[in-house]
Amino acid sequence: MSAPEPADDLLLCYCTGLTVGELRRACAQGRWPLADKDATGKLCTGCVGDLLYCLRRFGAEPRI
Amino acid sequence: MSSNLGALLSATFYERGDEHLVEVIHQRDAARYRRLASLDIGVWDEAGTRLAAPAVDAGREILDVEALVAAVPGAPARVMVTFDARYDPAIFPYRPHHYAYLHRRGSPAPALYYAVNAGLGGVPDRIGATAINNFETYVFRRRPLAERYSLLLGCLSRWAPVEATITAHYGEARLAREVRLAPRAHVEVPLAAEHEGHRLARVELKALFRLVAYVVGRAEAGGELVLFDHLFTYFK
Repeated sequence: MSAPEPADDLLLCYCTGLTVGELRRACAQGRWPLADKDATGKLCTGCVGDLLYCLRRFGAEPRI
Repeated sequence: MSSNLGALLSATFYERGDEHLVEVIHQRDAARYRRLASLDIGVWDEAGTRLAAPAVDAGREILDVEALVAAVPGAPARVMVTFDARYDPAIFPYRPHHYAYLHRRGSPAPALYYAVNAGLGGVPDRIGATAINNFETYVFRRRPLAERYSLLLGCLSRWAPVEATITAHYGEARLAREVRLAPRAHVEVPLAAEHEGHRLARVELKALFRLVAYVVGRAEAGGELVLFDHLFTYFK
């Protein structure tokens, strides 16, 4: 059974304020990394695992 | 809710029998009472199952963690308690975090005061900090406190498990151990106080991303906490 789809309103990166929805749209439009969110995953680092998970799930290359 | 709000997800561990208070915001000015915009509490068991999400007033200065957990039916002897806060950046001008007081009820051991670990957030983009904080270390005092030592680790991710390496140093020897944590799971990892005649000198924690982590020392007899501290980032 696959994991439930991450909800768009969930806050993904607590340091830059990136939400799951913003990441999903950026990936769909080939705009990731967003210019004003380029520190995502690099500050507290707590979201790195979830960020890589979501990038993979949204069809983008899982790297930061 | 305004997108200009900051976000901070912190966690601590509550053990049955402890008095445990968290100072959500350190008030500095009686005339300008500061409060969080919102605060969601979670109580989690070792496997990462949420046992409860008790509602609290985000304007409270002090939260009684003991009372929160006591209201959770069937709560195990130790739980992880998360504090998911949204705040106006003006109320935490630099690094946002909460403070806490901890004491085993009836114990002659002194009370412990500590900063609650920030697992997600705590390094807002606006402050521009760049130190890597998923490699951490702790140096123990040379004189032992006659305690049992361990690390308490918690994973605050929502979907990704994490593997962490814990390395304890004894003289020139090292003992390494791998742990794997599911999302929101937590574990206590014992650290031998001695190895081949050498005292535990240092411990390192390395993981893909920051975990909630506390260095723990317990009284030999009663097992109450006499050390509960955060590790330090490895690189400055």
